[in-house]
Amino acid sequence: MPRDRVASRRRLAAPAAMLAALAVSALCALPPALLLLLSFTHGWPFPEIWPRRLRLDLWAAVVRGGEGAGGGALGGVFLTSLALSCAVGTIATAVAYVTAKHIAYHRLRERLLLLAYAPFVMSPVVLGVALLYLYLRLGLAGSFAGVALAQILFAAGYGVVFFNGFWNREKRDYEELVRTLGGGTGQLYARVLLPLSRDALRLCFFQTFLLSWFQYGLTLLIGGGAVQTLPMKVFDYLFEANLGYAAVAGCLLVLPPVALLWVNRRLLWRIG
Amino acid sequence: MTTSAPRSSKSDAPPPAPPGLEAAAFAVFLAVAVLPIAASLAYSFLYTIGLAGLLQHGLTAATWVTVLSSRELWKSLGLSVAVAATVCALAAGGGLLLALALRRQLSRGPLSYAIYLPLALPGTVAAFLGFQILSPAGLLSRLAYRLGVTGSLAAFPALTNDRWAIGIVATEAGLALPFFALLFAQLYESERVADFDALSRTLGASRAQSFWRVAVPLLLDAGASNVLLLFVAALGAYEVPLLLGRQSPQMLSVLAMQKFQRFDLSQKPQAFVIAILYTALSLGVIQRALAHRRRRGRLDLR
Repeated sequence: MPRDRVASRRRLAAPAAMLAALAVSALCALPPALLLLLSFTHGWPFPEIWPRRLRLDLWAAVVRGGEGAGGGALGGVFLTSLALSCAVGTIATAVAYVTAKHIAYHRLRERLLLLAYAPFVMSPVVLGVALLYLYLRLGLAGSFAGVALAQILFAAGYGVVFFNGFWNREKRDYEELVRTLGGGTGQLYARVLLPLSRDALRLCFFQTFLLSWFQYGLTLLIGGGAVQTLPMKVFDYLFEANLGYAAVAGCLLVLPPVALLWVNRRLLWRIG
Repeated sequence: MTTSAPRSSKSDAPPPAPPGLEAAAFAVFLAVAVLPIAASLAYSFLYTIGLAGLLQHGLTAATWVTVLSSRELWKSLGLSVAVAATVCALAAGGGLLLALALRRQLSRGPLSYAIYLPLALPGTVAAFLGFQILSPAGLLSRLAYRLGVTGSLAAFPALTNDRWAIGIVATEAGLALPFFALLFAQLYESERVADFDALSRTLGASRAQSFWRVAVPLLLDAGASNVLLLFVAALGAYEVPLLLGRQSPQMLSVLAMQKFQRFDLSQKPQAFVIAILYTALSLGVIQRALAHRRRRGRLDLR
């Protein structure tokens, strides 16, 4: 192909790609933008393209707090969800980090790794159906601890798979060097392995946090309605045909992941 | 500055015995994650054959016969597999296209930020928004009306709670597509697709030949295990089918949950049968994904 034709084709391709990128960006931004708009909407009959009136009272109710069926309870539910996801993310990351090391250096690593995939073999709802009896017998159903434990089950499995590639020959060589030089387990982790793992640990916490934050079916079954989280509130409001509060609950549900994604964007690109 | 670990002279020797901390963490993992699943599956199976639970009347295969001979199960299974396969095809195909066409824009500029937004949407919110966009009173229908494409709300085609599960597929594929765009863009670098592309062009391949016979197969092969895992996730999806699906047939998770929550206790063992069948199916798919990773050497200690 003549060189000038190639050059003219590239000149045409660059603006087309830019336009396509802008169009895809707009499509990606549309759902969160619509969610935010719905949380301020007061009356949006068909076939209006834009709501007739906007309102702030739904968000004001969330900020004011309090109890009841309205938005006042959402603040408390948000904090419950946050505490649950932080606990699940922290415990699952810690357990997975060390468990993955055990599996990675084990002579039966491939078979043991299959165990980490065990939670993924069942969908959360199917797993919840099967787990409920056990949790009822253990007195864990309907409790914060029970829901956290059920979510850790999933998150820890994910974490082990996540860290499987992290524990490689290079890390083992470092470990052997520390031990050769007389370092103990505490020093090995505090001085060498944890500093080396900072990015991976942060990303694993972030992803296991999201696994818990987004969980609906398992929480519904194990929590039995006693443990209310934001995904449950979204569906509760939807089934009550309360679209405004469903959108507010949805916004509260989406805000932390957006913030975390923003903070971890470079990390995700590098490690993901 | 980059540093590399000092090579151990024993790097090819068998690994040392695991220290206590790691073995203890592994035991915790077994106790918290693996044993409850094994126990639950065993209990579920015993429940289905009449040896456990409220309805135990001695060994029987009646529940299995009832479920396996019901059209409801096979329709539900067929729908779930079809939806999961279509979601995988659309998400992986669309992601591949985006990664190849807009690779530069995915790493800088507005798209490099916006592409992460759908990843922040959980299933519950995605289902809600899917309904707000695709339903007869939704955003698309309003636009169609304003543009004169439809004359009324009823004239808009059913895209939610519809026969072909269009709403479920569109919502789930829309959620997964950005992930695959990012994955393939990253694989493009790590698998050195640009180098292979240049090599094939040097050897006389046309642009299209290089695209279809070098770049696409390389990327699809590298991302195949992720596609299989998406298949399992889509197969077991609950929130989106619950809101955007029809009452009959339902996807497997919705059907299992519905049978489990019914007041009629005789339906409970059927929920467990569905759970076991789903587990067997997804186990087969995950084993394939792992076998694929093993072939590519992704499970070796590197």
